[in-house]
Amino acid sequence: MSNSMNHAARLLFLALALLPLAAAEDARQIVAESQRRGRAASERYEGSLEVISAKNKVSKKRWETVRLGSYGDSKTIIRFTEPAEVKGVALLVVNHPDRSSDQWMWTPAIGRDRRIAPQDRSTRFFGTDFSFEDLEERDVDQYDFKLEGEETIGGALCWRIESTPKRSKSSQYTSSRVWIRKDNYVPVQYENYVKDKLVRRLVESDIQKIQGIWTARLLEMTDLRRNSRTLLKLEDVRYNVPLKEDDFTVQALRRPM
Amino acid sequence: MRRRVPRAACWLLALAAGAPAQNFTQRGFLETDFTGYPQTTPDDSGQAIGEALFRYEAFYKLNSDWQFAAGIDARADTHQQVDRAWELSWDDRQRRRPSFEVRQLNATYSHDKVTLVLGKQFIRWGKADILNPTDRFAPRDYLDVVDNDFLAITAARLTYGGQSNTIDVVWAPLFTPSRIPLLNQRWSNVPEGIALDELAPSYPGGSQFGARFNHIGSLAEYSLSFYDGHNNLPLFNFAEPQPPVVDVARYYPQMRMYGGAAAIPLKAITVKTEAAYFTSTTRQEDEYALYVVQAERQAGEWFFIGGYAGQVVTLHRSIFDFAPDRGLTSAFLAHAGYTIDTNRSIDFETAVRQNGQGLWAKLEYSQAFGDHWRATASFTVIRGNASDFLGQYWRNSHAMLALRYSF
Repeated sequence: MSNSMNHAARLLFLALALLPLAAAEDARQIVAESQRRGRAASERYEGSLEVISAKNKVSKKRWETVRLGSYGDSKTIIRFTEPAEVKGVALLVVNHPDRSSDQWMWTPAIGRDRRIAPQDRSTRFFGTDFSFEDLEERDVDQYDFKLEGEETIGGALCWRIESTPKRSKSSQYTSSRVWIRKDNYVPVQYENYVKDKLVRRLVESDIQKIQGIWTARLLEMTDLRRNSRTLLKLEDVRYNVPLKEDDFTVQALRRPM
Repeated sequence: MRRRVPRAACWLLALAAGAPAQNFTQRGFLETDFTGYPQTTPDDSGQAIGEALFRYEAFYKLNSDWQFAAGIDARADTHQQVDRAWELSWDDRQRRRPSFEVRQLNATYSHDKVTLVLGKQFIRWGKADILNPTDRFAPRDYLDVVDNDFLAITAARLTYGGQSNTIDVVWAPLFTPSRIPLLNQRWSNVPEGIALDELAPSYPGGSQFGARFNHIGSLAEYSLSFYDGHNNLPLFNFAEPQPPVVDVARYYPQMRMYGGAAAIPLKAITVKTEAAYFTSTTRQEDEYALYVVQAERQAGEWFFIGGYAGQVVTLHRSIFDFAPDRGLTSAFLAHAGYTIDTNRSIDFETAVRQNGQGLWAKLEYSQAFGDHWRATASFTVIRGNASDFLGQYWRNSHAMLALRYSF
């Protein structure tokens, strides 16, 4: 009796010890599955942006985005098409599976490309509430995850998962929380923290299935320090469009189209 | 010597007119500037200048390999800085700014790792932000010395490589000089009592050639460059046929450049450096090295760039030249900007000579109104000794108001 009690206690102790590990593994698997379901060889969309300041001043912009590859090994070019004075300004983001992305910005008015240094990634991207870092893809291997529980967001039951960047990943954020819907594995909300302070919140909505991929077509990024927000509407979203690897270099960034 | 615009320009514009919308994009603006100078100069009593610039650029993507770009500038002003002749200029060799000018007209072929650009185009090589000694294919319009703008050149540019390593080879069959200040205006700074009579300049024949290797690594970027051609800034020949009238003629010395540039992002700042050594077979031209070291940082809505530009003369031979690139050396340089909100920003630039003999500082406030309009007000202060490159313009402090409609 005593032996079996000891055995049960040992098993219980082992289970309790392994519980956080299992939860971490579950959380990682959930995020990995979410990313797997969103995979496409390429993507193209037109973004319509409204930047709403703390004083409710609204400025509108548009950009066109093309992406080649998926999480961790993708390249993205974002090119502004409106307003007229920033037309042609472009950003190249080269994501890496083992470290932070490389980014270059092309400004046609001065005919120069500029590398965005890692320490500058926390700054806002061209007057929007997205920072340069927010335009990176968050590869699952660059974060540690912890399943914190379940919550209902917008009527859908979600997993709430905390992620903290690994050492190899330089980030302005100390940690983030992501809410992933249980029914379709679509992330619907992110909260980003610096130390314990919530600094940015991204809410994703208007979720539609496009070419078999659940896609949020409305993104609202709120900068809680500035009390401003940016609404990004994704229009004309297309996946698996033919794109060339050579169109995603600093050389190609200088081309107007 | 004035070259007519190639027929290709007309073909391109016609092509663009019928292009499908997704393969065609265009942009441009109309800007009117008003500049006020509190002081007159011995050779220029004008204190108020109005300018207007209309710029239109169109881009057409024929297919995944071919793209075309065309752009035109139309100008007018109140101070005879713009040519009054209604001609379309291609080569930018006029003393005044042309009233109509082909800003760019080029075809780009890109396939696999090869990119070939043919035609009138802008080529920038340097990595630094304040002074670019390696930018040899980037002549400038120095009519208002401190508010200068780049000029395009006629060239063939072949780039081979991917993201990490690229080799750039440039061949320019037609020499494009930098535009220097007009002799009867305030930025030429001709001494009192001397009347200059400008003779026809001597433009070099032959072509200009350059090559550049650029490496982009995970920790740093660097480039090595070479140029063989002519300096786009002139030397002067003087003759005194009837004192005090002096005949002056520009000529452009042969130049060979060996250069390099690097950008190294560190934990707190990004360090950029650029250096070049210049030799010449022209007996009146100096041999010298220019270098710049700068640090930059963005923090919130601020950005800061600060650095030092230096010069080492290894062989001094020139007597009369116009060299604003060298004139900005032996100086501490700084540039800072603050974005107030999505529509408003402040910008500050300065150059202070190491010996304290010259100072240039510019403060600019810019505000957008709606989707198309932007107003910019700037104040430029120039102080110093008349013997210094910057200081000699001490009477040219000015204020400028610009209104731009972009489309």
